[in-house]
Amino acid sequence: MSDLKFSEKGMKKYEWLLTRYPDKQAVLLPALRIAEAEFGELGIPEMKYVADLMGISPARVYGVVTFYTHFRRAGTGTFHIQVCSTLSCALRGSQELADHIAKRLGIEMGETTEDGMFSVSKVECLGSCDTAPMFQLNDNYHENLTLDDVDRIIEDCKKESARGGAR
Amino acid sequence: MSEATNPETPLVNWVLNGQPVQSPAGMTIFEAAKALETTIPNFCYHPGLTIAGNCRICMVESNRSKKPVISCSERIAEGLEIQTESPMAIEARNAVMEFQLINHPLDCPVCDKAGECDLQDYSYDHGPDRSRFDEEKNIRHTKELGPTIDIWGNRCIVCTRCVRFCDEISGTGELCVVERGDRSVVDVFPTVPIDNPLAGNVVDICPVGALISNDFKFEARIWNMRKTDSVCAGCARGCNVEVQSLDGFVKRLVPRENMEVNKWWMCDEGRYDYRYLLADERVTACTKDGEPVEDHDAHETLAHWLQDPGGTLGILVDPYITCEEAFLVEQIASHANNALVGGWKPADGTAQSFPGQFTISGEKAPNRLGVEAVLGKLVFGSQGHALRTALEKGQVSTLIVFAGFPHPDPDDAWVQAIRKAKRRAVFALQAGAWTEGAGLVIPGASPFEKDGTYANEDGRLQRVRSFHAPGDVEWSHDLQRLQAVLRIAGLRPRSLSSSAVFRELADVKKPFHGLSHSTLPATGAPLPGFIPLPVGVEGGSV
Amino acid sequence: MSFRKIFTPHLGDPNCHTLEFYEKTGGYEGARKALRDWEPDALIDEVKASSLRGRGGAGFPTGVKWGFVPKQTDKLKYLAVNADESEPGTFKDRVLMERMPHQLIEGIIISCWAVGIHSAYIYIRGEYVHAYQRLVAACAEAYDKGILGSKVLGHDFHLDITVHRGAGAYICGEETGMLTSLEGERGQPKLKPPFPAIEGLFGCPTVVNNVETISNLPYIMEIGAEGYKKIGPESSPGPKLYCVSGHVEKPGTYELPMGVNLLELINDHCGGVWKGRKLKAVIPGGSSAHVLSADECDVAMDIESLAAAGSMLGSAGVIVMDDQTCMVNALLNVMKFYHHESCGQCTPCREGTGWLEKIVHRIAYGHGKLEDLDRIDTVCDRMVGKTICVLADAAAFPAWSFTQKFRDEFIHCIEHGGSPEVKRRHPDRIGGGLHV
Ligand SMILES: Cc1cc2nc3c(=O)[nH]c(=O)nc-3n(C[C@H](O)[C@H](O)[C@H](O)COP(=O)(O)O)c2cc1C
Ligand code: SF4
Ligand code: SF4
Ligand code: SF4
Ligand code: FES
Ligand code: FES
Repeated sequence: MSDLKFSEKGMKKYEWLLTRYPDKQAVLLPALRIAEAEFGELGIPEMKYVADLMGISPARVYGVVTFYTHFRRAGTGTFHIQVCSTLSCALRGSQELADHIAKRLGIEMGETTEDGMFSVSKVECLGSCDTAPMFQLNDNYHENLTLDDVDRIIEDCKKESARGGAR
Repeated sequence: MSEATNPETPLVNWVLNGQPVQSPAGMTIFEAAKALETTIPNFCYHPGLTIAGNCRICMVESNRSKKPVISCSERIAEGLEIQTESPMAIEARNAVMEFQLINHPLDCPVCDKAGECDLQDYSYDHGPDRSRFDEEKNIRHTKELGPTIDIWGNRCIVCTRCVRFCDEISGTGELCVVERGDRSVVDVFPTVPIDNPLAGNVVDICPVGALISNDFKFEARIWNMRKTDSVCAGCARGCNVEVQSLDGFVKRLVPRENMEVNKWWMCDEGRYDYRYLLADERVTACTKDGEPVEDHDAHETLAHWLQDPGGTLGILVDPYITCEEAFLVEQIASHANNALVGGWKPADGTAQSFPGQFTISGEKAPNRLGVEAVLGKLVFGSQGHALRTALEKGQVSTLIVFAGFPHPDPDDAWVQAIRKAKRRAVFALQAGAWTEGAGLVIPGASPFEKDGTYANEDGRLQRVRSFHAPGDVEWSHDLQRLQAVLRIAGLRPRSLSSSAVFRELADVKKPFHGLSHSTLPATGAPLPGFIPLPVGVEGGSV
Repeated sequence: MSFRKIFTPHLGDPNCHTLEFYEKTGGYEGARKALRDWEPDALIDEVKASSLRGRGGAGFPTGVKWGFVPKQTDKLKYLAVNADESEPGTFKDRVLMERMPHQLIEGIIISCWAVGIHSAYIYIRGEYVHAYQRLVAACAEAYDKGILGSKVLGHDFHLDITVHRGAGAYICGEETGMLTSLEGERGQPKLKPPFPAIEGLFGCPTVVNNVETISNLPYIMEIGAEGYKKIGPESSPGPKLYCVSGHVEKPGTYELPMGVNLLELINDHCGGVWKGRKLKAVIPGGSSAHVLSADECDVAMDIESLAAAGSMLGSAGVIVMDDQTCMVNALLNVMKFYHHESCGQCTPCREGTGWLEKIVHRIAYGHGKLEDLDRIDTVCDRMVGKTICVLADAAAFPAWSFTQKFRDEFIHCIEHGGSPEVKRRHPDRIGGGLHV
């Protein structure tokens, strides 16, 4: 048994959400977002917790979580770099950007560094095509990137991590 | 369904393949066409589940749409014109078949579904002759989903029937589709296997060989098996089943549709409960005072006992005997000067109901009602009580016991009581407490080896049939043995078929009036005019 | 009449997303007017008269859609604002939500008043964290000031708005996919009929409109249907946000009247094709639209004109490609997108999108065969018009138009061992395994 539990604040938010929808299951996506924020990722115990909390079958939660690509699944690094690789970005060098990041971190696309600090993946259009190439780093967009920018951002992450900050 | 059967439903005029037709309003094109004997292929549609409309194989041409429409979800309407065999309809179907097959493994030779696989069947009719797919096929997981079920993901066509079953019928929701696009495949939550009392049905409704039952895996090729329509004896629901056997061994049970009884389903307890047929304790030969004897000897001995019971004749029946057998019991009793007939039945369990309006009966035997309809409503009640009291007081000289229970859980009081009879003959499925010390033991037939009728908890009379090939194993037909005994005893002129015995029964027993084996519908019929006592009033176990 | 920008004039101001700023520049006047002066039915007629058409992709007349919602019903009604914006090349809604959130809220009030809705959801794609925060903050301000809640702007009308985050799935932009996702399920489109206006969110009548569509309403209130209709072509009028990306000097969001000429957009507004190169092709309306070759680009950017040119305005995501672009590689990128994003329900889409990507991949990586081009053609044929939603069609359109309009390039790739771009980038992979 895991002892996962929403914080008081998280629980308040969850209960407020329940008042915003006529049907309980509609709260699933927002509830998963709370879980993501509070527990850091959505692994097996986290999904199970949300399922039990909401009284829906864990399989349903599992089907939902795996349908979407933007949830933080278990094993994602502290810093998740999601490189847009769709057409507009590709036309302006997203491939070089992705290659550079991978080389820099010593991992392939879709992998996480051994120390668990970075994950990097290719994602589809992030709706920032006019600032290509770009990536999303955790919640934030980094736009009009050059390879030098990438080096700097990665260094910043490492510094932030050394200071104990995460997201 | 209800639209089709309700005479009040207005009719709609529409055109099917150029023919003006009429169908009850509200039906889907698929259902209406089916009722008119035009079959349209389907994968994701299942009459017992909500409509998903995802496989697209059922597309037809409609005068109301530029694109082909799916017949499993579109409803018929006045003036609608549907073509199921036009170039557009055929091309749409061929397209779907081609897409279904491009990533499908070439597994038929090793797939347990082969022979009853919709994909295999349709691919003969609608599939491409030669694959145009030169790419690598996608790979999806093969794994255990639960104690009884595996998934071969590469075969899954993502029709979601199984997921809908667990959501809508069993209400247990263990299955889901994970991932999306062509990575989609059925799975369970990693720590919650599929394990519910109706789980086995998902294997039946999987249109392909993606869901595989561990119990049946690699056991037999479908087309080699002998298939017998019968009824499950696991409980008083009496689910209609097809018993599939090979070389005299049952390989699996699958449900048969019966909207009045089990719809399309059956429970796992019933489904997987046939191994007792091969149990070590199975009685296979007659014994007299513990020594094997020829059948004829045993029959003759029993006939003599009946001719001269030496006092009171007791007959203890169980709810596994057929109505026909019960009728012969009554004949025996009526010829004796002093006879007591009583019944014993296994303890009741609790009924289980599911959201899909399926119930497993709390009564764990198939034919209490049928036996009562023949032998009297109190046979398992006060009559049973009277028999036991007489036994306990040593007042019964000759006792015949029917011990056809698949799982004899000896009822101590009864076991003690029957031992007090001076002579005891047992028709036994299995050796054990009931047969111990019996003067005569005669092999009994299991419910899947009987030929006759059972009445379920609603009083619906249904046919049970032996899965053995005719003439194969006559030794196991209780009805024939009983008749042999009666003939020797001079109580019946000759042995008749089960159907003929039923005719006699129907002539004399009011609840059976007007019924016959040959006119009994495949889905059975209610016993006319038989109103069983409410459960718990009198008929309950002693 | 000179064109007045309504979405973007204040973007230079860092505070333009605040309520204070919005009200200072005339904000919420349209909603006040609607609540004060307009009967709901008359308001629907006015929106019909304005000829406002959906900006989400399909271009359906907004007032007509509202008219489908049953007037007499015991059920609640909902508005679901489509802010999923995931069509490749499209980013206008993000700008509107990050910078002009109150304009959207005002539009929502007007829509809900017209249709008799008391509960609206904004379904915003999960990646748009910043826009989400802006919307949440704007709603909080609006509740705080009595603009939302039990008495909207002091009128006897209650309205709640809930901002709902998606979680990464293009298909949740398709209206019924969005509704299923909002209901907490896998975001798979539903069978139609029933249409959302009759049976949508939670089984109730539901209006689905795009962010930009809704953001037009305050302006229609301000200048009236007559005035609105005079902007751009009569059949699809109004101010319009064009998202230009790819090989132009100045990519960005451009607010111009409906029907601006595509070449004018590229050359005059966006500084022309970058690096002084020549134009090769343009996808005018998000990646689902048929590609236009350079010689087809002298076209007005409105619904009818682009349809006449064999493409569509779609989401107005204009993706510009210069003469050095490898069209095989570009198509491979687009096919990868649809393969990745197909929800996987319908057989033709689930299997077809993957098949198309695999074929184009083979061509790009030097394993193509000439018959592959016909195969692409017939695979598309077998996908189009046979599925629950039109994602399958959206995948087929670029596959068709790229291979038809740039056939020589595909043939060249097939005959010369693959795409020059791939060869340059991965000399080691050409002719190697299929999935690299
Ligand atoms: C695959 C697919 C993706 C779509 N994505 C979006 C989207 O991201 N945003 C959007 O507003 N409409 C999108 N649409 C169109 C919506 O289905 C719908 O037509 C639109 O939201 C209606 O709003 P409108 O009438 O205001 O344009 C998409 C449609 C399809 C088929
Ligand atoms: S496992 Fe079978 S029933 Fe379930 S979705 Fe796949 S093909 Fe359909
Ligand atoms: S419900 Fe009863 S009759 Fe039906 S399968 Fe189960 S045990 Fe057999
Ligand atoms: S067409 Fe594709 S995306 Fe649309 S519902 Fe079908 S499988 Fe899903
Ligand atoms: S293509 Fe990269 S953000 Fe749109
Ligand atoms: S049977 Fe109709 S779509 Fe599957």
